[in-house]
Amino acid sequence: MHADIRHVACSPSGDPARPGSRMSLDPRPARKSSDATEDVALILAIAGPRDRAAFVALFHRYAPRLKSWFQRSGSAPEQAEDLAQETMLAVWRKADSFDPSRAGAATWIFTIARNQRIDAVRRMPRRSLDADDPSLAPQAPVAPDAVFDTAQREIRLREALSTLPAEQADVVRLSFFEDRPHADIERVLGVPLGTVKSRLRLAMNRLRTHLGDYGPPSRDGERS
Amino acid sequence: MSVVPNHHPAQYTLLRHAAGTLQPARSLVVATHLPFCPECQASIRLGEGLGGALLSELSPAEMAQDALTRTLARLDMPASVMASSAETVALAAGVPLPASLQGLVRPIWRWLAPGISRIVVDVASGSDREQAYLLRVAPGKSLPDHGHHGWEATCVLAGSFADTTGEYGPGDVAETDVSVMHQPVAGPGEACICLIAWEGRLRMRGLFARLLQPLLGV
Repeated sequence: MHADIRHVACSPSGDPARPGSRMSLDPRPARKSSDATEDVALILAIAGPRDRAAFVALFHRYAPRLKSWFQRSGSAPEQAEDLAQETMLAVWRKADSFDPSRAGAATWIFTIARNQRIDAVRRMPRRSLDADDPSLAPQAPVAPDAVFDTAQREIRLREALSTLPAEQADVVRLSFFEDRPHADIERVLGVPLGTVKSRLRLAMNRLRTHLGDYGPPSRDGERS
Repeated sequence: MSVVPNHHPAQYTLLRHAAGTLQPARSLVVATHLPFCPECQASIRLGEGLGGALLSELSPAEMAQDALTRTLARLDMPASVMASSAETVALAAGVPLPASLQGLVRPIWRWLAPGISRIVVDVASGSDREQAYLLRVAPGKSLPDHGHHGWEATCVLAGSFADTTGEYGPGDVAETDVSVMHQPVAGPGEACICLIAWEGRLRMRGLFARLLQPLLGV
């Protein structure tokens, strides 16, 4: 396991993504709390002073992972390359709407990548997610505590994800990386839809309980 | 928006919405529900956080050699700005067009059947298997008894409806899968306005319903 992705992000020996294969995520998070805080600082340096050196550093950290994510999501390597570059360009352009009290750096960059992919897949610009798009958050003064807290929350979420039972973690990951109707996720896992849904509900409740700040763990009114 | 919804999308639906892997028409229904529901907004934030966590843990792929150079060269190029209309459109008195549907509809009600009007929503999915409509159903009127060859998802915007699965008011979401046959009935008092999306053909029960099928275009 690489202790610090800054030394490996541009390495030509990065593993190519294997679309369709089982997720092979490392059991331990690769990145440290200080990385998450530094990522936030880099985005803020892009937002204010339009710092190109900060952008280059962020590019090295995220572009190779974004490409990997797009490939896992079904894009061919060339398209994944383009989408990763487009996402980083959008990071540069939207940096001044980044609100570190609302979302951590990885989360914010993920939402931009997600929207890039939806736009690429659909024939028209997508709007359905915009109302909840963290990238559209109004700009507010940044409290240092908020930056630290958000970075901590990202770290705790990664740790919580790594403690989920394998069958629950599988459903979470397939929800992100298998762009198929859920009937197909049933087939991948060989279990009925009701089981997929209840595993996912258990996973979300467990994460909520563990993290404490994503709403109450139980809910009524869901039919499954 | 003072009333908190009682019926929510499944956690699984919410997570895939946050992940960007939910079917486009179904995502519209979730996006329409979210402004009503702080609890589901929290689920979406959790889902987006999971997206960030999964992104952080992925093994890096090798970028093209000129990737950084090419991206840097584009930093100062002007971004194409998408025109957004600021005007507020109303679907009925006191019922604004949801932000999730801005730009996807021409908000003119078309007669569909006695007591039932609709507005076609442009799902923009690139697939004709999914459809979405805004429906306005007069108080006490029922929709045809029908089932589904795929999923159906509905979000109530005003008024209410009831079927065998429960009663649904503003902000509530009803999701059904293949097995359910139902005949939604609009509640009394005011018209029920809802966003309804589904995939695949409907199965109609009864002569009236089957006569209506060509009109529905399903």
